Amino acid sequence: MDGEKALQRYGRQLIIEGFGEEGQERLRAAQVVIAGAGGLGSVISIYLAVAGVGKIRIIDHDIVELSNLNRQVLYGDSDIGGKKAQVAERKLRALNPEIVVEAVTETITDGNAFQLLGGFDAIVDAMDNLPTRYILNSVAVGQGVPLFHGAVRGFEGRATTIIPGITPCLKCIYPRAPQPEVTPVIGVAPAVIGSIEATEVIKYIVGIGELLTNRLLVYDGLNMEFMEIRLERHHDCGVCGHLAGSQR
Amino acid sequence: MSVKVKLHPYLRKFAGGESVVEVSGHTVAECLGDLEAKFPGMKQQLLDEQGKLRSFYDICVNLQSSQTDPLSEPVKDGDELLIITVIAGG
Repeated sequence: MDGEKALQRYGRQLIIEGFGEEGQERLRAAQVVIAGAGGLGSVISIYLAVAGVGKIRIIDHDIVELSNLNRQVLYGDSDIGGKKAQVAERKLRALNPEIVVEAVTETITDGNAFQLLGGFDAIVDAMDNLPTRYILNSVAVGQGVPLFHGAVRGFEGRATTIIPGITPCLKCIYPRAPQPEVTPVIGVAPAVIGSIEATEVIKYIVGIGELLTNRLLVYDGLNMEFMEIRLERHHDCGVCGHLAGSQR
Repeated sequence: MSVKVKLHPYLRKFAGGESVVEVSGHTVAECLGDLEAKFPGMKQQLLDEQGKLRSFYDICVNLQSSQTDPLSEPVKDGDELLIITVIAGG
């Protein structure tokens, strides 16, 4: 880590026990790809940017619409009509000019996923549908990089951290995708789950704490309950079943 | 044989607003049968026309994910079922 400015910017996290300049350097050297720049992606990208993750690629093909603004806190009225990923890049650079932010405005498909998501230290799931999440999952398993999963609906959320070969993959957890829908959601739900995903990414990179692995966090904001479901790898999983691992 | 079922908030309106109800059965499927007997309409919410669990729902026994079909999971006296939804928004 270099410079008095960095010491000031990150000073309050440098003094967290187990973090220090070494942890900050790990964040600076890290490259993270965030798939989706909606409700979850807004929160995740903001907190990874201000924490000092050195390179963030944010992928989203959508444009900002008025109906996004109840929950997608990267954007305001003046951003309506702009490409989400490009607006996000500008906002994140303004939040932390010391990091590299890359906007990608393509749609993630089976055909381009390895090109768009490959080569990063972590893949962060901020998608709005399960089929595209399965694509992220395949890349994560194929490349042996962690996938940080989160999803929301209404006041609810789910989160887990997937380490290929060690934890269940997303296909083990969700063998079947529910029917597509216009998802009801209030902004505080992705705020909670996005913060949890960002927390996991930071812990993973810095190497502190205990990850949300082999557990699905079930958040019910309406009744303010957090529950955990114990997860196991599926022996016959078509995506990760071939990997050796501690849970087999 | 008594098994507690913690209902997803969406399902509570079919159980008179209760969040936890008691049922009996030796498998999750039998417990859902008893749930339907006590709260008619619940089965239609949870199962499709073929009697399979709808993809919108998942059921765990004692906060443990199922390795196979949740409906075939055995249960015993004192077990707890949790019915949650599979969500995908972002």
